[in-house]
Amino acid sequence: MSERITFDRSLYSPEAVEAAAEAYADYAKIAVTPGPDAIVAEVSDTADLDPRTVAHAFCNHVLYETIARRRQAALDEVG
Amino acid sequence: MPGQPETSESRLGFSLGQDHISFEVDESIYPIEALYGACYLFLERCYVFLSRTPSGPVTVRLTARDTADASALEALAGEFGNELLSQVARLRLSQSTARIREFYTAAALRAAASAPSVDELLAELESEDLLEDPLEIMVPWEEKHGNKPNDSES
Repeated sequence: MSERITFDRSLYSPEAVEAAAEAYADYAKIAVTPGPDAIVAEVSDTADLDPRTVAHAFCNHVLYETIARRRQAALDEVG
Repeated sequence: MPGQPETSESRLGFSLGQDHISFEVDESIYPIEALYGACYLFLERCYVFLSRTPSGPVTVRLTARDTADASALEALAGEFGNELLSQVARLRLSQSTARIREFYTAAALRAAASAPSVDELLAELESEDLLEDPLEIMVPWEEKHGNKPNDSES
């Protein structure tokens, strides 16, 4: 069973999705497909973990990475 | 988005699901940076997911980490709304005082750059002629005024 998650590009950064997928590599197989308006992540093979919980946690991680990257970019802009 | 069970309208206007609650956020009132600020604070408490219909408002979906009834989910969404307002206020305040902060930082940096170092102060002190005594502070009283008797003693 797999979970398909669509991340809107205006809200999530593609680099954040890639970074989160890498961070979750030990818990699930996550295939990331970047598109023009959205990035699609397919979460599967979650072993003995609940697939929905892994998908939710993965979404939180993507959001965290997006916010952290935006804040870092704002700091870099200042100097 | 992971599994989307059917939803109903809550009494506060939120869309209520079995384990989640969702609502739309108007970006003309709540800037995206404020929304991210509120989301960041809620990542520990629940699962947060943002979505957007093409050129439409942002939809925030909060999913409970454990089992939660309708009132708990409404309370969660209410707290998120309050935090969102707080983040907007902070953002606006930060924007309106940005120039004042820039001015004080620049003034502090200028002052720090022009302040003399300890070595410079010591060199200045050494270069001064400390033997000059225009007020004749180092001259003894007797030398200055002679050995006159004190009027109160006579």
